[in-house]
Amino acid sequence: MVIPLDGLEYHPSGGPEDRHGGPAVVSKSAPLWVRVRKNHWTTRLIALAAFLVVWWILTTPWAWNGDKPIMLPLYLPSIPSVWNAFIRANTIHPIAEGVDREVVGEYGYYLWQHLLATLQRIGIGLFFAIVIGLPLGLLMASVKIISVSVEPYINFLRSLPPLGYIGLLIVWFGIDNTSKIWLLFLAAFPPITIATIAGVSGIKEDQIHAAQSLGASRLQVVSSVTVPAIAPDLITGIRVALGFAWTTVVAAELNNGIPGIGGLAYLSGTELKTPLTITCIIVIGITAIVLDSIIKAMERVLTPWRGKA
Amino acid sequence: MSRDKSLVVDGVRQFFGPKNSRVQALSRTDLVIEPGQFVCLAGPSGCGKTTLLRLIAGFINPSEGQITVSGSEIIGPGPDRGVVFQSPTLYPWMDVASNVELGLKFQGVSKDQRRADSERYLQMVGLTDFAHRRTYELSGGMQQRCQIARVLASDPEFILMDEPFGALDALTRERLQNELLDIWRKTGKTILFITHSVDEAVFLGSRVLVMSPRPGKIVFDEPAIFSKPGESIAAEEIRSLPAFLELRERVRSSIQHSH
Ligand SMILES: Nc1ncnc2c1ncn2[C@@H]1O[C@H](COP(=O)(O)OP(=O)(O)OP(=O)(O)O)[C@@H](O)[C@H]1O
Ligand SMILES: [Mg+2]
Repeated sequence: MVIPLDGLEYHPSGGPEDRHGGPAVVSKSAPLWVRVRKNHWTTRLIALAAFLVVWWILTTPWAWNGDKPIMLPLYLPSIPSVWNAFIRANTIHPIAEGVDREVVGEYGYYLWQHLLATLQRIGIGLFFAIVIGLPLGLLMASVKIISVSVEPYINFLRSLPPLGYIGLLIVWFGIDNTSKIWLLFLAAFPPITIATIAGVSGIKEDQIHAAQSLGASRLQVVSSVTVPAIAPDLITGIRVALGFAWTTVVAAELNNGIPGIGGLAYLSGTELKTPLTITCIIVIGITAIVLDSIIKAMERVLTPWRGKA
Repeated sequence: MSRDKSLVVDGVRQFFGPKNSRVQALSRTDLVIEPGQFVCLAGPSGCGKTTLLRLIAGFINPSEGQITVSGSEIIGPGPDRGVVFQSPTLYPWMDVASNVELGLKFQGVSKDQRRADSERYLQMVGLTDFAHRRTYELSGGMQQRCQIARVLASDPEFILMDEPFGALDALTRERLQNELLDIWRKTGKTILFITHSVDEAVFLGSRVLVMSPRPGKIVFDEPAIFSKPGESIAAEEIRSLPAFLELRERVRSSIQHSH
């Protein structure tokens, strides 16, 4: 799940105590309703099952409905057809039934290649966002003139929906990868810069004083105090940026987005290959959750003092 | 008396807050701390003790007047003045040993030497077993001891301590008092030691100051003769001396009258 608001943690199920999917100490033999109350994973599994059942009911042909499903496959494909689309997208298969010519996955790429292409764009965009956004934030936090003059532009950029200026980026950088990476970079660096500034302003004065009294040079203050002190905020900023970049890249791939999971979702939709579209949507959503969990895990490993000191 | 290496507080006044509603924390203060003195500063809460210490540390600049060390004005913090903060200021991203070694690291001391030093001072403050814990895993008093070890390890000329033993139990406190006296006797460092305990001030100090509140003003300034560099008398012996009891009584009444 991506984080909807700057700095606010989003806990898909309950409070912050639910970091590992709820306590794991509920006995297997406990009645179901106890497990539901105590263990979020049980709840999640039941919700998923209910969801699949509803989907199945809506997409299965019913005799009372003239042997037609409640929702037509064009609008909501059945579970098996989505599964088939998923398999097709990951294998070499005949271009159509009864035709000899075989093709790879979808539009010449396996599904994982589409996903990888998108992840690569994200990775490069985010990399530059950190490389530029972090020093810029440090600079803005320490040099008044820079912060006063640059801040309005960052707020301006931040208020624009990235898709509003993708057209311009395409004119400037061409329709291929470069414009998409620029878009991701522009979408991802403001949250990182802003988190860095917030982090610096949250540093306790005496932590700086203590280092100076121990003989730290300016550079040593930055490396031994400033950077580690802002690490928790920085990681939060990266998390926000990643969520933002992910939704942006998927949309950015509307133009010339193959290979790319967003491009695949869009193209398959326009060609009425609804099962494939739904496959893509599921992959996009699950990837977002996985990415977010990775950052949350990094947070725990890299900044164990978060909230404790 | 040589004035060359003295710390001189010269006509310092300190105000806080905006111009129209400013608060005077220190009224005009003149103070000379000679090298090798162990100056204990007592006074009621909020009278400006920490403010004076922060001025000397160089964390704040005096609103009026100036502070000099060896004749040159203090314009900021420096490694010649080590500070033990009133509320422990450690770095949670480092373990306890790394915190203690930090000053040496900034000075470019080799890793082995640093380890040796930090082990020595951690042993002294009784934190050997916690060397590789994170600082937030320590109790308040342990954090305070870690801070003390950090400052001692970095070996400054002036040690500025703001209620360093306030959070400690009586036994640990007594042990660290003796350790500190020992270090002072051996090294002849200059120490400014803030405390709420009159007994501690008179016991440790070679000079006792009392401050009165609103605005802060030094109202009592006398030498204490009980601990001298190079000479150690047993603690119980000192505490039973009539002169000790007499000075303690006068310091106490001076604090009471300053309210
Ligand atoms: N940064 C600041 N801004 C505004 N007022 C301050 C500041 N620091 C101290 N003061 C004020 O100056 C006065 C003296 O404070 P100080 O911290 O020096 O007292 P103290 O003697 O150390 O007290 P305690 O024994 O409780 O630590 C207080 O009235 C306090 O409110
Ligand atoms: Mg104080």
